Amino acid sequence: MRISTPQSQLTGINSILDQQAKLNRTQLQISTGKRIVSPSDDPAGSARILDLNQIISITQQYQKNIDIAEERLASEETAVKSAISILRRARELAIQANSGSQDAISRQSIAVEVRELLDQLLSIANTRGGDGDYLFSGYQGDTRPFSETTPGNYGYFGDDGRRYLQIGPSRQIAVSDSGNDVFRAIRNGNGAFSVAQASGNSGSGVIDPGNVTNPATWQANIDTYTITFTSATTWEVRDSASALVTSGTYVDGGDIQFNGIQTSIKGTPASGDSFTISPSVNQDVFTTLRNLVNTLDITITGDADKARYANGINSAIVDIDRGMENLINIEGGIGARRNILASQKQDNEDLILQRTETLSSIEDVDLAKAISELNIERVSLQAAQQAYVKVQNLSLFNFL
Amino acid sequence: MADVLDISVSGLLAYQRALQTASHNIANVNTEGYSRQRVDLATRPPQFSGNGYIGSGVNIASITRIFDQYVQDQVQSLTASQGQQEVLLDFASQVDGILADARTGLMPVMRRFFDALQNANDDPTSIPARQVVLAEAEAMTSRFNAFQRTLGNINEGVNTQMRTMVDAVNGIAREIADLNKSIQQSPGITNGQMPNDLLDRRDFLLTKLSEYVQVNTLSLDDGTINVFIGNGQNLVVGVTAQKLGVINSEFDPNIKDIAFVTGSSSVNITKLVTGGALGGLLSFRSQVLDEVQNELGRVATGLAETLNRQHKLGMDLNGNRGTDLFSIGNVGVLPSTLNTGSGSVSVARVSVDAMTTSDYLLQYNGANSYTLTRLSDNTTTTINTGGTSPYIAEEVDGLSLTITAGANSGDRFLIRPTRLVSGTLDSTLTEPEKLALAAPIRTLSSINNTGSVTATPGFVNSPDNRVVITFNNPPTTYDVVDETTGATLAAGLSYTSGGNIAFNGWTIQISDGGSAPAAGDTFIIDKTVTSVGSGNAGGGVISAATVNSTGADPNLGDTVTITFNNPPTTFNVSGSTTGSPTANITYTPGQPISFNGWTIELSGTPVAGDVITVEANTGGVSDNRNGLLLSALQDKKILANGTASLLDAYGRMVADVGATTAKAKVAEEAQSILLREAIDKRESVSGVNLDEEAANLVRFQQAYQAAAQIISTTDRLFQTLISAVGG
Repeated sequence: MRISTPQSQLTGINSILDQQAKLNRTQLQISTGKRIVSPSDDPAGSARILDLNQIISITQQYQKNIDIAEERLASEETAVKSAISILRRARELAIQANSGSQDAISRQSIAVEVRELLDQLLSIANTRGGDGDYLFSGYQGDTRPFSETTPGNYGYFGDDGRRYLQIGPSRQIAVSDSGNDVFRAIRNGNGAFSVAQASGNSGSGVIDPGNVTNPATWQANIDTYTITFTSATTWEVRDSASALVTSGTYVDGGDIQFNGIQTSIKGTPASGDSFTISPSVNQDVFTTLRNLVNTLDITITGDADKARYANGINSAIVDIDRGMENLINIEGGIGARRNILASQKQDNEDLILQRTETLSSIEDVDLAKAISELNIERVSLQAAQQAYVKVQNLSLFNFL
Repeated sequence: MADVLDISVSGLLAYQRALQTASHNIANVNTEGYSRQRVDLATRPPQFSGNGYIGSGVNIASITRIFDQYVQDQVQSLTASQGQQEVLLDFASQVDGILADARTGLMPVMRRFFDALQNANDDPTSIPARQVVLAEAEAMTSRFNAFQRTLGNINEGVNTQMRTMVDAVNGIAREIADLNKSIQQSPGITNGQMPNDLLDRRDFLLTKLSEYVQVNTLSLDDGTINVFIGNGQNLVVGVTAQKLGVINSEFDPNIKDIAFVTGSSSVNITKLVTGGALGGLLSFRSQVLDEVQNELGRVATGLAETLNRQHKLGMDLNGNRGTDLFSIGNVGVLPSTLNTGSGSVSVARVSVDAMTTSDYLLQYNGANSYTLTRLSDNTTTTINTGGTSPYIAEEVDGLSLTITAGANSGDRFLIRPTRLVSGTLDSTLTEPEKLALAAPIRTLSSINNTGSVTATPGFVNSPDNRVVITFNNPPTTYDVVDETTGATLAAGLSYTSGGNIAFNGWTIQISDGGSAPAAGDTFIIDKTVTSVGSGNAGGGVISAATVNSTGADPNLGDTVTITFNNPPTTFNVSGSTTGSPTANITYTPGQPISFNGWTIELSGTPVAGDVITVEANTGGVSDNRNGLLLSALQDKKILANGTASLLDAYGRMVADVGATTAKAKVAEEAQSILLREAIDKRESVSGVNLDEEAANLVRFQQAYQAAAQIISTTDRLFQTLISAVGG
């Protein structure tokens, strides 16, 4: 083919320019470390990069949320643990108070300690978290949840709300429990029913908290029952409509069974003494401790007082047990959620790692490959430059 | 003797010309568009003598340029296609670069906003955390604005370039016309002697012109050529050139069109312009700039409208209902400058979810009939106002058109639902307390309950929920079911034609159309778009839905009490205003229950007398339920009929621009190679080779010297003769 002079120059220059462009591009890739410098380098890849960056960033945010959730749950757990140990101490004291060796002075010192425990428990229920919000007030973080509205009555000013944090794409975790759930929604007595003596009892009968022997029968016959001693040796059970349910002869400590439940009475009840069995209702732990204090405050002058005292202490112990049971359940729930947090954190960590690797494989330049390309392109450019100089020196005019 | 001299002189003259031409070639070795010239030599007519024809020397037949029209045509057409891709690539790369850059892209700021929102959710009572949300909202909206501004500047750049290019085209066209004149008038033309340099110049100008726009030419016998744009729009006819101008487009003065301008009238030829830099500008505008602005607008609209809607369902730190988080400009409606009537159209966004990124053209056909064309795929919808004015048309692609009569047949309106609105996105919340992270309601189980019934915290029904109204048998009453939550909103409501029906924050009316609704007829309100069931037997019609300013049921905060009856298989509801029935509702665990615009679920085993209360979330400052729902919008598929999240839509746009740019890059490279080859071909044929010219110089010089030698030989012959005679 015939080549014109400008053409041969242009060819030489074009090949130099092409090599320079390639070299520049490789240089840019190496200096930024990115294979994709602008979306047009790999349109599908760039959309994927946006996607991956988004997933990584959101997941990192979830990790932050998990850290905060951890902290919240840890605060709550500490509070609940303290509450449990308070109740445990109260229970010890109640048992201690129940032993016959106590006198009025030692009972009073126990009462003082229980009062102290009650104040502590109240302050725990009003704990604020690291963010300054009350832990146990539901949604109303600025509202002090518990206070003694009138002497012996404890009001709750929060709500049933539980606060949640987002810890995964479709996973939220509760980082609080409401004051109702933790301290108030606690069935008294044995959880099914509670027992009490009538205030005017003159005998020394002490009723056992009892238990359910046949839940189905009890469920079908939930009611308030009264055990009345028709004489010192006979008793009868009537329901809330005064219908006779059952009756029997009194044996000290012998079972009294009816409608799927059983209890027993010890001591020497007097004729006309009565005991009530009522379905459990919710009773807050403060009232439980308050009741214990009230019982401890009883001045014991005779058998009737002794029975009242013993019945009161017995009730307090079962109520404290219910409270502890509830708190332990709450604590277990917190533990379970902390486990979920830990496993979610690991999942998120894995996801971030895996997505970062994918991102890198799409986005990042293979340095070894790029550098070897750079070398090849450098050599090519040098060759093109040398060829240009050599070719352009050739002219017939040199010889004329 | 004289003959020999004559022959020698003819040789001298011929080679002088040949040397001249070689010099001309050498001198123009670097002249763009120059074709090397060649002297065609021919013998002079021989003289007859008795013993035959005696040659009488050499003559110059012609001086021609070595030129291949086919190759030249190829160069021109490839210049046009390469020029188009080059400009497209150039402009698309600008947008491509903006999208890629972390400092200008939208993804980082949107991420930061949603991160800030989550941090606020982590601690809803923290004012600093809320302040960060507002600051990030501000940063995000200004990034949207800046992005739109940059695109606006690029559009300005397109307009400026268009003007410059049109000026250049006009200059070249005029020069071609002038050359036509010179060529037509050149003296040799009648006997086939072409003015080679003028032809070269004209071909060169045609190539130059092709850089701006694809042209076709027609050669005429008088040596002139006519130049056309597109399919037969004359740019140059003989010795006159038409003038191109840049005019405002029919609908938008910020978008420029190309037209032939004669005096005060102009003929728009934008659609005919292909190829070259102008073609590149136009394809950039339609393929990249418009698309990006529309998609950006859709993302901004989706962000603003969905976050606003959710935010309004929440409660702020002061216990008030949320207000708008963002504001965004209205749908653009641009009447044609050619409209003669007084009709007008206003367009409201009804559902972001159904919106496309297309523009729409509304044309009045006369007789109350309008045609709405979706420009992306030319789908048409016919709207007949039936003479009502203003007439509210049925929703199309999430848009509600209100047409006011007065248009003349042929009047047109351009509707741009999402263009430019990203420039108007603004964050309207200034007080951090007003960020509505809490839900406005809460549920409470009475502490005196002896059963184990519990209630979910509940949520506020969104006006976007899909609600179906079904007529009973007989059709004097109807039931209302929220299909999104699964809750019955009301049952057995009495039907009054035209009466207000209000649930979930919207109000509609159902009225007798041709006839009353029949039993089993359904009416649907989905994302506030109303429609009539497909199998309806009656003639009932449903109005458009109006959403109240709070975007939720007005009785939301009223205290509602649910009390279980004896036996606890049913419950009664008191205190509710919206929703029915309220007495003896059968209890099914897990069944959604909806009153006053909220929905809750009950579970567990109730005991007679157990009470659940739904009340205003007074003091609920630590609640973040609405905040969590706001956060969830980050990757919820809220656009394109539930197929794309904000990121998806943005990502698609980035990929589209990337693909267009990449395609332009590949096309530009391919066209460049083809063009380079065509130029090579042209150079190979017409270009000057200095070595060749050097050889020619030597050749012609030798011939010249030989011819000169003839004179000296003749002289010697003459001397011999003189001396012999003079003896």
